[in-house]
Amino acid sequence: MSAVWSASRALLRRRKVQTAVIGLVVLCSTTTVLLALTLLSAATAPFERAFGEQRGAHVVAAFDRARASDAQLARTAGRPGVQAAAGPYLQAAVDIPEQWMWVPSGLLTIVGRSHPAGAVDRVRLLEGRWATKPGEIVVNWPVQGSPGPDKLGTKLTVRGAPALTVVGFATSMSKSAGAWVAPEQMAALHPSSVQMLYRFTESATDRQIRDGLAEATAGLPKGSLTTTQSYLTLKRAFSAMADSYLPFLTVFGVLGLLVSALIVGHVVSGVIVSGHRQIGVFKALGFTPNQVVAVYLAMVSVPAVAGCVAGTLLGDALSRPILRDAFSGIETGSAAIGVSPWVYAVCLLGMPALVALAALVPALRAHRLSAARAISAGDAPRTGRGLRVQRVLGGTRLPRAVSLGLGQPFARPGRTLMTLAAIVLGVTTVTLATGLTSTMVAFGRHGQGNGAAWVNVEAGRPGLDQRAPKLSDRQIEARLRSLPGADLVTARALTRVRLAGYTQTAFANFYRGDTRMYDSEIVKGHWPRGRGEAAASPAFLNQHGLAVGDRITLYLNGRQTRVTVVGELIEGNPQALESTWQTLAGLAPGWRAIEYTVELADGADAKAYARAVKASDPGLYVLPGASTNTTTATVVSFSVVFTVLLTFVAALGVFNTVLLNTRERRRDLGMLRSIGMTPRQVTVMTVVSVAGLGAVGGLLGIPLGIAVHRVLVDHVAVVAFPESMKDVWHVPQLAALALAGVVIAVLGALLPARSAARLTIAKVLHNE
Amino acid sequence: MNHDPGSSQQVVVRLDGVHKEYGDAKALDGMSLEIHAGDAVAVMGPSGCGKSTLLNMVAGLDRPTSGTVEVRGQDLGTLNETGLALFRRRHIGMVFQFFNLIEDLPALDNVALAAQLTGTSARQARRRALELLDELGVADRKDTYPAALSGGERQRVAVARALMNRPALLLADEPTGALDSRSGEQVMDLLIDLNQIGQTLLLVTHDPRLATRCASRLIEVADGRVARESTLEPTA
Repeated sequence: MSAVWSASRALLRRRKVQTAVIGLVVLCSTTTVLLALTLLSAATAPFERAFGEQRGAHVVAAFDRARASDAQLARTAGRPGVQAAAGPYLQAAVDIPEQWMWVPSGLLTIVGRSHPAGAVDRVRLLEGRWATKPGEIVVNWPVQGSPGPDKLGTKLTVRGAPALTVVGFATSMSKSAGAWVAPEQMAALHPSSVQMLYRFTESATDRQIRDGLAEATAGLPKGSLTTTQSYLTLKRAFSAMADSYLPFLTVFGVLGLLVSALIVGHVVSGVIVSGHRQIGVFKALGFTPNQVVAVYLAMVSVPAVAGCVAGTLLGDALSRPILRDAFSGIETGSAAIGVSPWVYAVCLLGMPALVALAALVPALRAHRLSAARAISAGDAPRTGRGLRVQRVLGGTRLPRAVSLGLGQPFARPGRTLMTLAAIVLGVTTVTLATGLTSTMVAFGRHGQGNGAAWVNVEAGRPGLDQRAPKLSDRQIEARLRSLPGADLVTARALTRVRLAGYTQTAFANFYRGDTRMYDSEIVKGHWPRGRGEAAASPAFLNQHGLAVGDRITLYLNGRQTRVTVVGELIEGNPQALESTWQTLAGLAPGWRAIEYTVELADGADAKAYARAVKASDPGLYVLPGASTNTTTATVVSFSVVFTVLLTFVAALGVFNTVLLNTRERRRDLGMLRSIGMTPRQVTVMTVVSVAGLGAVGGLLGIPLGIAVHRVLVDHVAVVAFPESMKDVWHVPQLAALALAGVVIAVLGALLPARSAARLTIAKVLHNE
Repeated sequence: MNHDPGSSQQVVVRLDGVHKEYGDAKALDGMSLEIHAGDAVAVMGPSGCGKSTLLNMVAGLDRPTSGTVEVRGQDLGTLNETGLALFRRRHIGMVFQFFNLIEDLPALDNVALAAQLTGTSARQARRRALELLDELGVADRKDTYPAALSGGERQRVAVARALMNRPALLLADEPTGALDSRSGEQVMDLLIDLNQIGQTLLLVTHDPRLATRCASRLIEVADGRVARESTLEPTA
């Protein structure tokens, strides 16, 4: 064991509290940083890897076959800026029956391709084989895994064409089709368009994609390009949920890193300032200046490495459910969602490096310190400024214990600033967490209308081993409305529609009934009220480049209708839009609802209502009403954990400062006691020395916390919080937060203050 | 093993025209002296005369404003901080008035630390440290932290630490200044014994008894200069 290690171990053993604080802070920071990096990496890397492996299409374009010939389209592959191209492939949009292959009814895009390979969009076969002759179809499986071989052989009946047999399942990261058939099959499906797949030399931004496509299609007849789909849209959809967590985790990660650096710097500078004589002794014994620095670095490295390893393990365990949640319902295709090895490497190497760097700055002071001066001075000399402030405060009418306490922070300005920073961080975190919790709780309640109980009722589906309802769609709605306790009733139909200008189909929900229960879901505009009106989530609008007021054409069943986006939801499915029953009637008359939502009257018993539903028709299935919003629960949990931890850490920062101050001033305290200061006055003086800092920290931390809260809630891409959810601050709450700094300071100071008050005068004054 | 001034024995310390100034204050004002191997030299003088500064110069803890300080033929002015540290750990042992033990280490580890710095394994260093503590009569306190030791015990541990690397020169700054008379006597006996077996000593003290009991040469310092130098007769 080297001398450096011996000395470090000794310092560690005698500073158990500081060692534990460093270990704990590094553990928390590492956990959060690992979670943030995991999400950051999972949001991009798996998509890019799978997309790259399949040589995914930067643009999937559909052309009107009546306007552009195959030869003209084939020539676009040679246009400047086109790196590679595939096609032309015939494309048809066909209606699929209800509940086929877990896919909602509606339009299915089928493309004729002779093979899954090619220069672009190398479709990965998951089960079975590729379609080689008419009557065969390969279905796109957009989510993780595979439906299994037992689903091969399933029949698909398409209106006006012979039945198709599923011979394979495949996945395309480009989402170039819902299914593929042999080119010879296409004629029977009445294709109306031709598909081209492009990769461009420049494809990093939306603008580059637009420019590339414009250059590629420059020579084609006007109006021949009907729909396009950029891979950047798919990429955004892929990371939509992960992106909603990222701002929170990033802020908490940065806060954690700041606190780590601050606490480590604080502890090391404290040990050095109070240990000048020890440094002198080390040097007198023959420790080189570098070895002295190494002693202090090794002292913090042990808890830092331990905290880092524990934090990495904890972060890894927590990242799994968060990743599962962030990518549930996302069409991940062949992308493998997991934690990249570099994330662990960054955490395991980066955190100890950050800690070492934070410790190095104060440790260099020990490097520079003259041995002779250190050994004779014992403690770091106090500044004249502190003494001047003490003199001024001494002339005031404040009780002497209070004025002495108020003057103490000026004696060590560096230490005071670090303590203040710890308190500011603590108050900022408390403010941020309070705001986030209020916002997220309000957000969690937004789907519950006025707070009344509600239930969802589904019509049984024989295909899912359920009993079919005896009542018709309209009769079910009427029955639900007539049962005791019902207040508002809506019915919802779900289908897949095609949007003009987009290759991918989208889900569409159509509502009828008392839809005013959804008014509170709207952040901008209003809930759709009549024919041709629609609303969508921020993620849907963002991914489709739409805004409130825009018009879009929906296609279904060979019919089309124009709808206007009249409202933006607070949040919702990124792949779905919401409209009215009247709009559905224009597209698909006779369509029936799949779900009914019943808001119960005040005081109504949801269980009794559910029993009444079941009794009225055994073919109706009641689902539990409210479920906990996972994002809300996760963010609130994080906020609470971080508030507790950072408040604790801030208090420990104060504790450390007061401990150092009292150790350093033992003789002063002994002297003050000897001339008549009571233990109570010593406690008051010591607590006052940081309570002022707490008040200042509170005043600085509150606006900072409010600002960070605003930035955060404004940058959650998948949720558009209404102003009522963002403006969560009230005077009593702010007053309580202003006290948070003082509370943190007093909590941290109380223990060492009481210990200072109990010092034995004779012992202290006799010491040295 | 006392020697006359100017004996032909090997020169361990040589100061030549050493000046040291702290701002306007002159701590040393052209001090020159030589100390030979086996000498026991006491430096006395009033407070602020430059005694401790002299000791710091010889230990390489501080640098002269001008002049040269040589220890065992090595001009300390030519060494950087690291070089000084390496030189100190091999050739110099120091004992302080207030002991300056590492409060976070028990007695045994305080002593062993000096040897570990030279690359000795922890096991060997502890074995030698225990031998020294035993010789100095404090082996039974080896696991005790400094705060729980008496003043005399602390100084014995400090002496053991200073002797750990068999230094050519033992420097002591008021080694009995913080001790009661009984402990002071014990430390004085210890220093005499060490000098008897050939240890070169340089003591800085206010205490004439310590000087006359332990030293063979007395250097009186005033205003940063050697005011008088004399030979002392050993006392019983």
